[in-house]
Amino acid sequence: MISLPRNSRTRTWLGLAPAWLVIGVFMLVPIALMAVISFLEANPYGGVHFNFSTDAYVQIAFEYDLEDNLVFNPIYINIILRSVGLSILATVVCLVIGFPVAYFITLQPPSKRNFYIYLITIPFWTNLLIRTFSWILILGRNGVIETPLLLTGVIDDSLNMMYTNGAITVGLAYSYLPLMILPIYASLERLDFRLVEAASDLYAHRLEIMTKVIIPLSMPGIVAGCMLVYIPSLGAFIAPDLLGGGKRLLLGSLVQFQFATARNWPFGAAIAMVLLAFVVVALMIYARSARKRALIEGDL
Amino acid sequence: MADGVEAREIVKTFGVGTEHEVTALNNVSLTIRSNEFFTLLGPSGCGKTTMLRLIAGFEMPTRGDILLFGEHMEDLPPNQRAVNTVFQHYALFPHMSVAENVAFGLRRLRKPKDETDRTVGHMLELVKLGDLAHRRPAQLSGGQQQRVALARALAPGPKVLLLDEPLSALDLKLRQAMRLELKQIQRETGITFIFVTHDQEEALSMSDRIAVMSNGEVQQVGTPHDIYEYPVNRFVAEFIGDANFIPATVAGFETDMLVCSTVAGRTLRVRGSGDHNTGDLVTLFLRPEKVLLHRQGETSSGRLAGEVVDVVYYGSETSYRIRLDDGTVILAEDRNMLDGSRRFAGGEQLFVEIGAETLRVLGQ
Repeated sequence: MISLPRNSRTRTWLGLAPAWLVIGVFMLVPIALMAVISFLEANPYGGVHFNFSTDAYVQIAFEYDLEDNLVFNPIYINIILRSVGLSILATVVCLVIGFPVAYFITLQPPSKRNFYIYLITIPFWTNLLIRTFSWILILGRNGVIETPLLLTGVIDDSLNMMYTNGAITVGLAYSYLPLMILPIYASLERLDFRLVEAASDLYAHRLEIMTKVIIPLSMPGIVAGCMLVYIPSLGAFIAPDLLGGGKRLLLGSLVQFQFATARNWPFGAAIAMVLLAFVVVALMIYARSARKRALIEGDL
Repeated sequence: MADGVEAREIVKTFGVGTEHEVTALNNVSLTIRSNEFFTLLGPSGCGKTTMLRLIAGFEMPTRGDILLFGEHMEDLPPNQRAVNTVFQHYALFPHMSVAENVAFGLRRLRKPKDETDRTVGHMLELVKLGDLAHRRPAQLSGGQQQRVALARALAPGPKVLLLDEPLSALDLKLRQAMRLELKQIQRETGITFIFVTHDQEEALSMSDRIAVMSNGEVQQVGTPHDIYEYPVNRFVAEFIGDANFIPATVAGFETDMLVCSTVAGRTLRVRGSGDHNTGDLVTLFLRPEKVLLHRQGETSSGRLAGEVVDVVYYGSETSYRIRLDDGTVILAEDRNMLDGSRRFAGGEQLFVEIGAETLRVLGQ
């Protein structure tokens, strides 16, 4: 038997060691590697030269013209802005669809709720690539939506739904919708419905019960769901590639392209660092709301 | 005086048409006067909370009518009834401060801001929580949360305040203090209070009138004194305090007295006759504190000889179980005096006096 150290602080650290090991090996080390690579020189044949360079970061906003002058190049900035914009849009779409679904499930008798939750998780059984590909059949030329409309003469020409920002948003929202529904359901399920009665007793009508009681009290789930949709949307590349046709690059696709095709590892790593920055900002907002909530519940 | 709340032949059945059909209220009619402190008293499952929820509008009656100051409440949702509720577990909004909780109803009624602020301040003062206005409910003790719930329900100025076992989660001392306070607030505000409880002491000490309920029916409605001294049946007598029940037959009549003989062969005289015939089987009822205990006596003078079986000491009084020499066991209660002259020990012989005024004939 191993005798445990008496000192309680040492014991705490020892107890936490496995967790730190996992976080260290699987998170901190890879991120540190990326950070290091982003500050190296690119090797045109893949990999890196071990020379310090900030070229990769400069490249995000500038390029060299024919006379070797640095000039502003908005192409990557646009990709970053479009990624953030479409991710936010996808998050909003998920919230608008996900909240009513989660609320509906909460109103079902307890015996039926698990069945609905089970239905929500069914899409996870199939590969995301295949599920996203099926959206091409739905949205595409002569697809499920267009064909009946063309046949009945409602439209004369293709709607050109594919390869648009809209198609990408639909794909992203579809991919991550369950991640919005589940946390919202978790917090709605814990909601004390006597509070709804109390609000109604105190002259609140339906809309006010929703906005003043139910939504504020399910905020933890709403914020968590938004994080769970927004963060992977930023880095997604399957939906943007398939539904955006690879023409409308997003951050995730760009990183994947730089590593796999363009063989510019430092630039790919630099873009990944930018991506990480947006994720960290989102997580900081999340942490702030969690702190505020702890204050409300009087745990501090 | 205008009636505050009138319930007419209310029937409430849950799960109609299913195998779990339960009738919570069976043809209940009640009239609650304006400005009255009215209590619905009964064991759990007697339908008292259902009655409250029907008045609040959380449930709709299967049959029957509820009138609020003469107005039919049919199908009106809770937010359109001038009735507010103090919930058993308070149901305070955890994401709002004390002041926001109290202001909730006023804001929904679109009262002007300065009026709302004034009312909230006044309400918090009424329940003595002025300095905690900015706390969250989770930062308050149970007693304080209780007061916030009361202030929140009173703030919109309801015509009727419903209280669903509001004191049951508090400890004894706090509960006793809140009783007095509730009664005082009711008197000050003049609002009709409908109070639901299973605690008979609570009911007796606060109410103007009490409705004793069991199995979805009202057993008796009356003042605390009426209910305690003149219960209409054995259920009411037993539910409100301790009682002795003595089976007897009517043996004859004297001037305004009923002469009964007990199963054990004793003769007891009861004041008031009622409509009984000789030979009727009746139950005589006697509160333990009305039994007088003596060290000496003669059985001929109406005193009965007996022996103390059990003694339970309560501080201010002592409760005795006494076996009379005919085998009947009765409960007696006596105040404890300073000199201890009236205290008896287990096994001690004594004489028991049962006055004709203290015995009642119970309806079956």
